Amino acid sequence: MADRADTRDAVLLAPIELTGRGFYLTVGLLSLLILWGAIAYWTQFDEGLGVTGLHQPVSWGFYVTNFVFFIGISHAGTLISAILRLSKAEWRRPITRMAEVITVMVLFIGAGQILVDLGRPDRMLNIIRYGRYQSPLLWDATSISAYLTASIVYLYIPMIPDIAILRDRVGKRKLLYTVLALGWQGTEHQQKVLNRAIAIMAVLVIPIAVSVHSVVSFVFSMTLQPMWHSTIFGPYFVVGAIFSGIAALIVAMVAFRKAYGLHGYLKPIHFRYLGQLLLVMALLWFYFTFAEYLTGYYGAEPEEMKVFQAKFSGPFWPFFWGMVLTNLIIPILCLVRLGRRTIGKVLIASLSVTVGMWLERFIIVVPTLSNPRLPFGEGIYWPTWVEWGELAGSFALFALFYVLFTKLFPVISIWEIREGREVGLKEVEERLLTYLPDTAEPRHAEPERGW
Amino acid sequence: MPSPSGGGDVRRAPGASDRTVRVIQWAMAGLAVLFIGGIITWITHLIRTAWRLGDVPSASIGISLVAIPVFLTLLGVILYVFVGLLGDRSER
Repeated sequence: MADRADTRDAVLLAPIELTGRGFYLTVGLLSLLILWGAIAYWTQFDEGLGVTGLHQPVSWGFYVTNFVFFIGISHAGTLISAILRLSKAEWRRPITRMAEVITVMVLFIGAGQILVDLGRPDRMLNIIRYGRYQSPLLWDATSISAYLTASIVYLYIPMIPDIAILRDRVGKRKLLYTVLALGWQGTEHQQKVLNRAIAIMAVLVIPIAVSVHSVVSFVFSMTLQPMWHSTIFGPYFVVGAIFSGIAALIVAMVAFRKAYGLHGYLKPIHFRYLGQLLLVMALLWFYFTFAEYLTGYYGAEPEEMKVFQAKFSGPFWPFFWGMVLTNLIIPILCLVRLGRRTIGKVLIASLSVTVGMWLERFIIVVPTLSNPRLPFGEGIYWPTWVEWGELAGSFALFALFYVLFTKLFPVISIWEIREGREVGLKEVEERLLTYLPDTAEPRHAEPERGW
Repeated sequence: MPSPSGGGDVRRAPGASDRTVRVIQWAMAGLAVLFIGGIITWITHLIRTAWRLGDVPSASIGISLVAIPVFLTLLGVILYVFVGLLGDRSER
């Protein structure tokens, strides 16, 4: 049984054992973009933030937009992996690892945006030495540290059995795999330890993830700036984060399915389920956006209305209506009927949402600063090549990290797939019986307590 | 939660002595203790500074009441996995 399973899952180890021309091409292309980003950053480091489009009153632009966007995408790992794991959704098996990797990678990129935005990275030391917990910025630093730590642990622990497979089967990087496998031999005790740790982490990362994006929203909503000072910003940001996270996950799934020939693992049914989830999130996102904007419009407070009009019909209208198009209209058109060409439709919707959620973050950050409550003139923000370079470099760095990860570790959890074949089917059948009326409870089912 | 399997046969990495591997593995656990310990020390430093300056220490204390237990729980899980997996190997 084990040998047959090994052969069946050989495709999952192939990217680690063999390196094709496509890999070098991808790395080369991404490196060029990263080089552009590095030159842009060096220019900014050398000459100061004056080389960017940032000025007074618009002191936050692309960098803070990227920060909120990347931290938002990190919710892919939490939602897909932790919630699906806890709810024992069997279709999660081939996608949890991809989701968890996204979380860890984008958190590094997202947190890095703050360093870039500071202009002088040495000022980060001031946070460590003189940080004040009255500031939501410090809440951010603390919650992102907790989330990054939790995400790394949550990625690593379920990888241990797979690393042991690599240690035993793959001929290279023996020391790395031996060290990281922590002596895994699949004994009963080790399995118990691992299962318990995964269960604890699955429960723990959900509130941490929700707190992270709530706190990111507090950076805006704790101020008195027009269209930022909102009580629903916390859940609004969390919904947007989950929405963009699912979209990013789908894009990654389609890319690796094609690149590594994972058609047998990532089937149309997975894309259909994720597509339906994306559609639900699109509607939820629209509900929050509608509630947020209607409240501001109905109140008609003059400072709020200046920002409101700047978004609706002023200088920011292409971004605002572009956001509505890409976050709501295109996803609905693509996802409302998923009959044929499921993967193509879900991919178009996801790419659209990825663009749309970046626009949404931009539309939140910049128009308010352009029309501040303080007596500044209206500020117009035009990003320079430096910010475009940082943007391209950040996306490329994320993609490069991801590609390099897949060269070292399986992008789909091998042991979870095997477990699905060997144990999952029987377990699902038994569980199904417990849902139905007039069927006998399986022996290990929990006895009914209380009422 | 179903049980993970995999990594059946055990073969030693060529050239990598068991001792070196063990040292690196425990060093990883030590690094986790240092990292999380560092964050907790930092949070404590911020409380002390706020207290010393009379700079709304209640905010620092309130937030650290949530943050420190979260970091300690994370450290607990990490050490549980390291001790649980590495300890099982040494027992046999």
